[in-house]
Amino acid sequence: MFDSLRDRLQGVQQKLGLSIKKAEEMASEPSAPVKTPTPEKTPKKSGGKLVDKVKVFVRDRELVLTEKDIADSLEELELILLENDVALSAVDAIVGTIRHDLTGTHRKIGSSIDAVVEKTLKHALRDVLGEGFDLTGYIDSHDRPVRVLFTGVNGTGKTTTVAKVAAYLKEHGYSVVIGSGDTFRAGANEQMKTHADRVGVKVIRHQHGADPSAVLFDAVEYARAHKIDVVLADTAGRFHNRANLMNQLEKIRRVMKPDLVVYVDEAVAGNDAVIRADEFNAAVGTDAVVLTKADMDTKGGAAISIVHTIGKPIMFLGVGQGYGDIIPFSPDRIVDDLVGESG
Amino acid sequence: MLDRLGSGLKDALKKLAGKTVIDKVAVDELVRDLQRALLQADVNVKLVMALSQSIKKRALEEEPPKGMGVREHVLRIVYEELVSLMGQSAEVHLGPQTILMAGLQGSGKTTTTAKLARYFQRKGLRTGVICADIFRPGAYDQLLHLCRQINIPCYGEPGVTDADQIVKNGLAELAGNEVIIIDTQGRHALEDNLIDEIVRLNVISKATHRWLVIDAALGQQARDQARRFHEAISIDGVLITKMDGTAKGGGALSAVSETKSGIVFIGSGETIEDLERFDPNGFISRLLGMGDLKALVERAGEVITDEDVDVNAMLRGKFTLRDMYKQMEAVKKMGPLKQVLGMLPLGGMEIPQDAFDVTGQKMERYRFVMDSMTPAELDNPSIISGSRIHRIALGAGSTPEEVRELLKYYKKMQRALKGMRGGGGKFNMQRMMKKFGGM
Repeated sequence: MFDSLRDRLQGVQQKLGLSIKKAEEMASEPSAPVKTPTPEKTPKKSGGKLVDKVKVFVRDRELVLTEKDIADSLEELELILLENDVALSAVDAIVGTIRHDLTGTHRKIGSSIDAVVEKTLKHALRDVLGEGFDLTGYIDSHDRPVRVLFTGVNGTGKTTTVAKVAAYLKEHGYSVVIGSGDTFRAGANEQMKTHADRVGVKVIRHQHGADPSAVLFDAVEYARAHKIDVVLADTAGRFHNRANLMNQLEKIRRVMKPDLVVYVDEAVAGNDAVIRADEFNAAVGTDAVVLTKADMDTKGGAAISIVHTIGKPIMFLGVGQGYGDIIPFSPDRIVDDLVGESG
Repeated sequence: MLDRLGSGLKDALKKLAGKTVIDKVAVDELVRDLQRALLQADVNVKLVMALSQSIKKRALEEEPPKGMGVREHVLRIVYEELVSLMGQSAEVHLGPQTILMAGLQGSGKTTTTAKLARYFQRKGLRTGVICADIFRPGAYDQLLHLCRQINIPCYGEPGVTDADQIVKNGLAELAGNEVIIIDTQGRHALEDNLIDEIVRLNVISKATHRWLVIDAALGQQARDQARRFHEAISIDGVLITKMDGTAKGGGALSAVSETKSGIVFIGSGETIEDLERFDPNGFISRLLGMGDLKALVERAGEVITDEDVDVNAMLRGKFTLRDMYKQMEAVKKMGPLKQVLGMLPLGGMEIPQDAFDVTGQKMERYRFVMDSMTPAELDNPSIISGSRIHRIALGAGSTPEEVRELLKYYKKMQRALKGMRGGGGKFNMQRMMKKFGGM
């Protein structure tokens, strides 16, 4: 994941650096003769304003970037982000931040151009990616059983994710029970059962077609009776534009009162990722996001789009078909990875 | 469905409406809006760039034919370019064949397999399916469950981990069937061993068709994935799934252009019947707000029999409440009102989202009201007086206001149909639809 985005971003970084350098060369010529070394500690006369101006101007001899200087590079950045599946609205936000940060920058001549560009890019990306989410820390600091509800549209990998998270938690020493709340899709119950057996976790399930709220309520009760740490509640995939199904989800939330609502989407989704993340967030709320199928995507734009839209942290990335193929998401590491440590 | 992309394009085209000469600024603006609309619909960036270049070039260079307005001229160019982007419509041949399904995890292969089986079954072909998904738990149960609903034989060997063997056995087992559909496990282009597997399955099954299932929400990734699948087993058709969400399916276009194939079917709902034939002209017409009459006719032809609606009598001007009742039932059979309306030529008219639900409910209420009428009243609505209205309302558990509303609606319909008879052209049809929308 993110490989192709990284390569391209580094290209833009250089381009941006170059256009700044160009602007600098142009700017440095006329400003060169002004070099009168005014003593720094001029007695303060008429207000601080003028003095400060002179001070800044003389001491630092800086360069002010205009929007024009970086327009081309930004346009290219925009396309690169789009090609990497970042949704249009998120692209606008990122490019906007960079434009805002860079234009009118009072940059000291002499300080490294790369450093400035890197800092701006990192700032813009971290701005949208936000913080990660520490699940085990959350469980430790809350009353047991901690109830986690998984939501999302059809086919994003909710059931598999529930199994993976169960395996992850078990490995970290927590007891887990799964509520098989997908009572709609044919075979979903069997799928969940098989997963749970393999992972070695108890699963609470009813028949096909049963009320999911009842199943998940039972799962919570079971956990309470058996002093189990975490309840993972699977639900049927549903489209955000189906009012009835969203109401059903709302009912589930009311009945089982989850501590955490986790929204699951796939890393390969395009612009629609933004729309549905937003709708789910509006309907039942979202506390954290899991991105699945990150291994089939070298781009990773969906991560940026979703987090930008709903402003909720990404908790895990699903990176393969095995139960161990789930990694906690750390924005700092990814931003460093994308932009490059050294620049 | 595609309404969001549609409205984006409509906005872009509206800007050209008042113009008499094609000027560069207007075209640039249109192309920029078009680009944004297409990018938001997940169409591949490179495709969008190529498309907008050629639209720009043609719009500025080609002279509009005499009598054609600037807007229509540009619209036609946009339309033609979009059609060429979609490629040819892939033919579905109704005869003995083996279809191999391929696609990413969670794209909807298993559901679509069952829907396809239903499609061929309805066309009168003996159909069987093989579940070659040896990885996902519950995959066989899922397919079996779906197939039982429609009485389709489903072959699978749960627990066996050799897909090659399952397909071999399955083909032998289902030899008496004309159409065999093989569902496979989800895989993506970077998993080499799974790509090898599907190459083998293709050889073993001697598949007539290899169809790629694409989630409508798939983004820029669609292009690379489609290319890899195409290299492996030469895809000859694309199925778009989950078109009932808000995703616009632009990723599928990348897949089409990459595989040089066409879109075969569109999946647009969770039940086994929700599969539509794809028609590129109709698809774009819908994008541009021109309506898709062809798809509607195809759908209507399948469900409505002659006795349901006596079109000729209606055109002669004899339109009673009884006819309206039948008509409503027919509309109900065609599926949710929303889907039907999406296919009608509403001339770029916007219908608010929640209006669909309300109208659907209203239709239902109207039917209850009509159920309380006597045959005489149904055949000759003019006899319905104040006291009759009161009686009908009581019988239907409704209010006199609602009965009057229904009668008003009936008169509107009657007038609209008279108008259609008069002009007979598309124009009147449109006017009729406007009247519908006004309700």
